[in-house]
Amino acid sequence: MRRFFAAFLIAITMGLVYLLDKSPMPGIPAIGRLLNPINGCWANAEPVNKNFSADLKLPVNSNATVWYDKRLVPHIHADNDHDLYFLEGYVHASFRLWQMDMETRAAGGRVSEVVGSKALEYDRKQRRKGMVYAAENSLRAMESEPRTKAMMDAYTEGINQYIASLSFKDYPIEYKLIGFAPEKWTNLRTALLMKYMADDLTGGTDDLALTYLRDRLPKEEFDLLYPERIAGATPVIPAGTVFDKPSLTIPAAPPDSVAFPHFDAADFGEKKEDGKGSNNWAISGSRTASGAAILCNDPHLGLNLPSLWYEVQLQAPNINVYGASLPGAPGVIIGFNDSLTWGLTNNYRDVKDFYLIKPVADNKNKYWFAGKQLDFNKRVEVIKVKGQPDVVDTIDYTIHGPVTYAAQNAKDGGLKKPLAMCWMGHRATNEMLAVYLLNRARNYNQFVDAIMNFQCPAQNMAYADRVGNIALWGQGQFVNQWKDQGRFVMNGSDSSTLWGQLIPMRENPHVLNPAQGYVASANQVTTDSTYPYNYTNSGWVNLRAWRINHLLSTIQKATIADMKTMQNDTYSELAAGTLPIMLKNIRNTSGNKYFETLRKWDYQLSAESEAASFYQIWWNLFFKDRWSEKLKHVPDDHYPLQERTMQLMSSIEHPVYDLKTTDQGRQTNAIENSFKQAVDSIGKLERTVGSDWYKVKNTSVTHLAKLPAFSYDHLKIGGWGNTINAAKGDHGPSWRMIVQMGKEIEAYGVYPGGQSGNPGSKYYADFLQQWVEGKYNKLEFFSNSDKQSDSAVKYVWTVKGAKG
Amino acid sequence: MKFLLSVILIALFSAGAEVLIPSWWVIAVVAFLVSLFVEQKAGRAFLAGFLGIALFWLVAALIHDSANDHILSTKMAVLFHLPNYVLFIGVTALVGGLVGGLSGWAGALIRPCPDERN
Repeated sequence: MRRFFAAFLIAITMGLVYLLDKSPMPGIPAIGRLLNPINGCWANAEPVNKNFSADLKLPVNSNATVWYDKRLVPHIHADNDHDLYFLEGYVHASFRLWQMDMETRAAGGRVSEVVGSKALEYDRKQRRKGMVYAAENSLRAMESEPRTKAMMDAYTEGINQYIASLSFKDYPIEYKLIGFAPEKWTNLRTALLMKYMADDLTGGTDDLALTYLRDRLPKEEFDLLYPERIAGATPVIPAGTVFDKPSLTIPAAPPDSVAFPHFDAADFGEKKEDGKGSNNWAISGSRTASGAAILCNDPHLGLNLPSLWYEVQLQAPNINVYGASLPGAPGVIIGFNDSLTWGLTNNYRDVKDFYLIKPVADNKNKYWFAGKQLDFNKRVEVIKVKGQPDVVDTIDYTIHGPVTYAAQNAKDGGLKKPLAMCWMGHRATNEMLAVYLLNRARNYNQFVDAIMNFQCPAQNMAYADRVGNIALWGQGQFVNQWKDQGRFVMNGSDSSTLWGQLIPMRENPHVLNPAQGYVASANQVTTDSTYPYNYTNSGWVNLRAWRINHLLSTIQKATIADMKTMQNDTYSELAAGTLPIMLKNIRNTSGNKYFETLRKWDYQLSAESEAASFYQIWWNLFFKDRWSEKLKHVPDDHYPLQERTMQLMSSIEHPVYDLKTTDQGRQTNAIENSFKQAVDSIGKLERTVGSDWYKVKNTSVTHLAKLPAFSYDHLKIGGWGNTINAAKGDHGPSWRMIVQMGKEIEAYGVYPGGQSGNPGSKYYADFLQQWVEGKYNKLEFFSNSDKQSDSAVKYVWTVKGAKG
Repeated sequence: MKFLLSVILIALFSAGAEVLIPSWWVIAVVAFLVSLFVEQKAGRAFLAGFLGIALFWLVAALIHDSANDHILSTKMAVLFHLPNYVLFIGVTALVGGLVGGLSGWAGALIRPCPDERN
């Protein structure tokens, strides 16, 4: 009996150990491994007074140094490019390994491999978009260019050197929680990261919605509601800029009946991407207090922890650059060097088109093109799924690109016809070369040479230098289109709709030292209508651009403090333009406290404003009410822009048929109805979470694994997508930077996170509060030297070359 | 006396083993072996195993936690839906203790029974 019980107990103990050693189901960690105080999560509890200084022996060619300042920003000094990028990789991996791994898994559709089948649909979508295909194409370009090949090889080598030194104890905590291990880095992963950014910034599309709308609205009304160039737009390249004669002939558009198909289906799958905006501007010395040019940039991206960005300074012969890097890619993406500074915003010229594919009846291997039957190129995608057999997806590639939407994938009313996607991101672009050259550029011409290699995602690139030049380029690789090409889903079986010649990139819209004394971009249309080439929209907005242009056109002696105030500006052009009209249409106002609050409001969406909450709620309800009936069944609720709605509200005498009469009644009704609903909503909020604007909108910075324990929410920050300080729910200014290019370069920056990716480190989110409050860190830009006596140095890595 | 000795032996040996061997479950082996060699009643062996490992895990966790100003333990408590970091440290000790206790108990039972020897 006793023996039997002993055996039973041993079995129980072993069973318990087994259960605690394995994750019992996805989402539940292996508790024993995790809690083990020597090697488990406790090993990630970084001592708050940890000394990061170290002597390292690494396979670099000669001795090198990494100085860390008090914010844990590394300043890497190396004797040659190989060592520089090796160390950047080593440093990125040391502080951000899990994030780099996860983001590139997400890019290439390899998430199921570590979290199980719940990510399968996501992975499938990534594969169908051709993300791996795109990265492989770019990798070939990157590896056939000797400079980028050397840069990426050294970077990958550095990451792998770090990974090879790890045991379970040293893994970032997320590996211990989710239950997988770091794997070797490859250059393909860096290419995937670049495509991840390209997809994030050019991934949205309104092609399907517009295809539907143009068939349902009279042409006049369609043009009125969805204008390509909104009235009063302040384009990226100032209106009136004279453009060179185009070197290419602009193609003539094929007849409408040939070019565009029509859809009957009322519903389409993909949700519209909610605008990822950004601001940048540069002010010439003639308008600044110091006489030096100032450049400001705040790219608005997903707010996550670990942050997308990682600050770094890179020094080697012929390079001394500081700025925001992307862990997973070498170089500095946004920043400044000894001579010049640059900032990026998304350009939103349409570089992603859809083609309706006509399959050959009874032959699933062929489709029609130009009267001939062509074979689909079949690409087999194998998706590994944790704890389950592999899932195999075969994707048909056409002359246009991969069939992204297909009947067998049409779920929840998705389009039941095969659509192929033609995307600039699929092409063999080499943005790493642009980064390589940009980081080393000494003057405007070298800056221009560098950005000629930046093809996708298209960016508005603001520039300022120490000799006082300012410039702005609407940069990217674009196609010489016929008018409206790619604005709607195109007929994929006719050759006239194919993408044509590429526009020489030097003919992209740009301006150097304009008379107005400043340049600015905030995702608005690139040019006025005099630019010779055709292009279409994939997400232009105007409210921030109007505000920025207004402020810059009145500024005289701009200081860095002014720029900080501007980047944190929460004035809503939308509220200023719509609220007076809305208030005028409320008939019964007696005793309504909100009415009075709104009447006195200054249109600032500040953190604690109640009026801001009420207005935003009211506006959203009104906006939906205003359009929902007229534009029923529009895919993705693709309503006219808010600023277009604002313009239409005030110009009711517009000579288009029923907008004048019946629509005016409709507008008044919508205003009154939505006001009543808004009063109810705000009342409920007052009784529950509170009605302060920041509580209502809930700006959050969320951990990449969506773990609330590692995230921060209800941040006390003002603003919204329509203000310069565009802090929305989960998107916002991801890196605020201000650089004054004087004799001494003076630079400030802040991002909502911290240099360490470890939730157990005091450096995990230590900039977050500053970011919320609109405060900045002074960026320590060291001179290019192998000795630093700078008091800013807190820790030192002394790197001894094992090779040298 | 034997009880105290087992607790100390289990705590010390498991700490040494855990540092040298990457597998967290060596604590189970240590508690089992100590119980096998230091003769005790089954109930006391469980308690010795429990206390030995719990003590080791508790002390180790406390050392990490105090140097870390509770940054990580506070977040882990939220992750485990616990009200505060003290309880997360408690859970750590408890899980270790449970494994140690069961192993110790099993070790004591596997010894030839005193009755059988007589």
